[in-house]
Amino acid sequence: MTTTTVTAAPTVPRRRRAGVVEGQELALIGVVGVLWIVLSLVTDTFLTSGNIQNILFTVAPIALIGIGMTAVIVTAGIDVSVGSQVAVVMVVVALIVRDAGTPFLPALAIALVTGIVLGAINGLLVAYGGIHPIIVTFGTLNIYRFVALQIFGTEQVAGVPGTFSPIGGGAEGRLLGVPTAWWLTIVLAAAMWCYMRFWATGRHLYAVGGDVLAARLAGVRVRRRQISAYVLTGACVGLAGCVLIGSGGLVQQNVGSGLELQVIAAVVIGGTSIIGGRGTVLGTLLGALLVGTVTSAVTLLSWPSELTQLFIGLFILVAVGVDLLRERRRSAR
Amino acid sequence: MTETQVPPTPVAERCEGVAARVLRVALTERVVLLAVLLVVVVVWFRVLGDGGYLLAPYDVRYLGNALESMVPFALLAMAELFVIVSGRGGIDLSVGAIVSLAGMVFGLMVGVWGWPLVPAVVACIVTGALLGAVNGALVAYLRFPALIATLATYYAYSSIALVSNANAPISTPPVVALHGLTRNVDLPLLPPVPLHVFTILLPCALLAWVLLSRSTYGRSLYAVGTNDVAAGYATQRVARTRFSAYVISGLLSGVVALVTVAQFASARPDAGTVGNGMALPAITVAVLGGVAIQGGIGRVGGVLVAALLVTWLNAGMLLAFDGSEGSRYQLLALGLVLVLSALLNTLALRRYGRLS
Repeated sequence: MTTTTVTAAPTVPRRRRAGVVEGQELALIGVVGVLWIVLSLVTDTFLTSGNIQNILFTVAPIALIGIGMTAVIVTAGIDVSVGSQVAVVMVVVALIVRDAGTPFLPALAIALVTGIVLGAINGLLVAYGGIHPIIVTFGTLNIYRFVALQIFGTEQVAGVPGTFSPIGGGAEGRLLGVPTAWWLTIVLAAAMWCYMRFWATGRHLYAVGGDVLAARLAGVRVRRRQISAYVLTGACVGLAGCVLIGSGGLVQQNVGSGLELQVIAAVVIGGTSIIGGRGTVLGTLLGALLVGTVTSAVTLLSWPSELTQLFIGLFILVAVGVDLLRERRRSAR
Repeated sequence: MTETQVPPTPVAERCEGVAARVLRVALTERVVLLAVLLVVVVVWFRVLGDGGYLLAPYDVRYLGNALESMVPFALLAMAELFVIVSGRGGIDLSVGAIVSLAGMVFGLMVGVWGWPLVPAVVACIVTGALLGAVNGALVAYLRFPALIATLATYYAYSSIALVSNANAPISTPPVVALHGLTRNVDLPLLPPVPLHVFTILLPCALLAWVLLSRSTYGRSLYAVGTNDVAAGYATQRVARTRFSAYVISGLLSGVVALVTVAQFASARPDAGTVGNGMALPAITVAVLGGVAIQGGIGRVGGVLVAALLVTWLNAGMLLAFDGSEGSRYQLLALGLVLVLSALLNTLALRRYGRLS
């Protein structure tokens, strides 16, 4: 990011030297660590390899989509249509795998392309339509759900073969005891982390979110960056859809509904500012882990599962509140 | 949003042709456009009905009955109107969750604890206002982004609503008896119309209109929503005005909670959050009604006509398709209408610099 002094814009505050982990991320690591220690002391089922694998696998789709969502939110956008995008991807892929017997890689490619097309529609509407991203994606949330339901026809897709079991939740979906989906997530997150930190176009994402006007004057191709963020989210959704199909079985019509809120919660808990211009993929990964841990904890402690949402809500408030406090202190200085 | 915000040059209004004038009125006077669309929708479905393409006649009686489903959405869209007009990214995702939670509180009071009706009604509305006040405090005083604050409270409220009665609906006899409040009433010259259109919707709409268009509070709210720094210099109490918008939103959600409990003859813990929830259609109706998401723009009249349009469009589509097909196409219509109306808003703002 070149230094522009156009306006006193609330851009990324200048740091002495950016560390690998930042304050909020350290705090999150602490919270997740404490939770894990407490849970393994309180219950005897938490710290079993089965449970950890289960947490990592259920978190993987949220974290995967969160990678793209982080980019979108950093550009001061938002994408609430990811749940419906997942539904479209999953029904398309499930039908292809079941009825045409498509093997792993071509099916994965189709999933990615489907996701990218859906993301590109969002991106184009946001960049060229001049509509607020939340309105665009609220609209496409409905439209994509309609598309998915049309493809479903009258019933759910049953008997999907285990084409995707190498990245699924079963025993063959593990590498060194860790779900392959989680490895995928880590590799992608690492790549994205490097891109957003070291690449020029990656830094431009922050510039767009910090101050659109300043970014444009500094020569950032604002529209391209916006579209790329939504397209990336679509691609992540494609991958996550394959993970969710996993070892096959049943794909239901309400699949993915409400997923967007979990993803946004993970991103926001991870310290990404919803106003744009600040946030990292590492934080999102930790945020997703926290959400997964809480979900698992509520189940293991045999509390009513509805309480999970209450905790997620509280975590969002605490995370954003802490962030606001730090921001205030920073600007007061 | 990437364009430089140049103040748009006003079109020379004297020397424009008839066509340009019609276009300008249609784009800037949202009520006019919506009224035209409303007529188009009704006529279109009448023609389809006469041609025998519909499952049942799309007649005046059916349209009157359909108003029942309009009441909650019109009220919640008015709630969104207040919040979105208050500016700074104002939006309330938690309205559906407030409907669930206030409805459960109401159900517990009437159906389980045996409270008399009037205190319970008041308590239900107050509950809604309190839940809205939590949102308002977070957004206006603690300066949380509205989207995040109401996302968090959406989670919290819907969770508490589900836990409150162990995920079971309350439909004891006193609650079932409330269904009478939503019966149809026969009117001279008019088709039977659900009672709560008159007892709840119209009074609320009138109050909202008076508040927004005929009171100093309304002027203050529009000022704060348009530019809160300027409003602050103009000695407006920015935080308090914005806070009150969220309280009103919660209050209206409390009223919707009453309506839904009476409609279903049961207090359901997921009344406002099942499926896509109630917040999404409410925001759609508000945007369709000419409320600009940037804040400071929007009127009660536009929102009401938009709610009517969506209701009758949905009612028509239920007749046009077999089985679940109809509700599916409702999704498509809702999405398309939202995106297209937002595009229209942008176009009107860019071209004429104003919107109803």
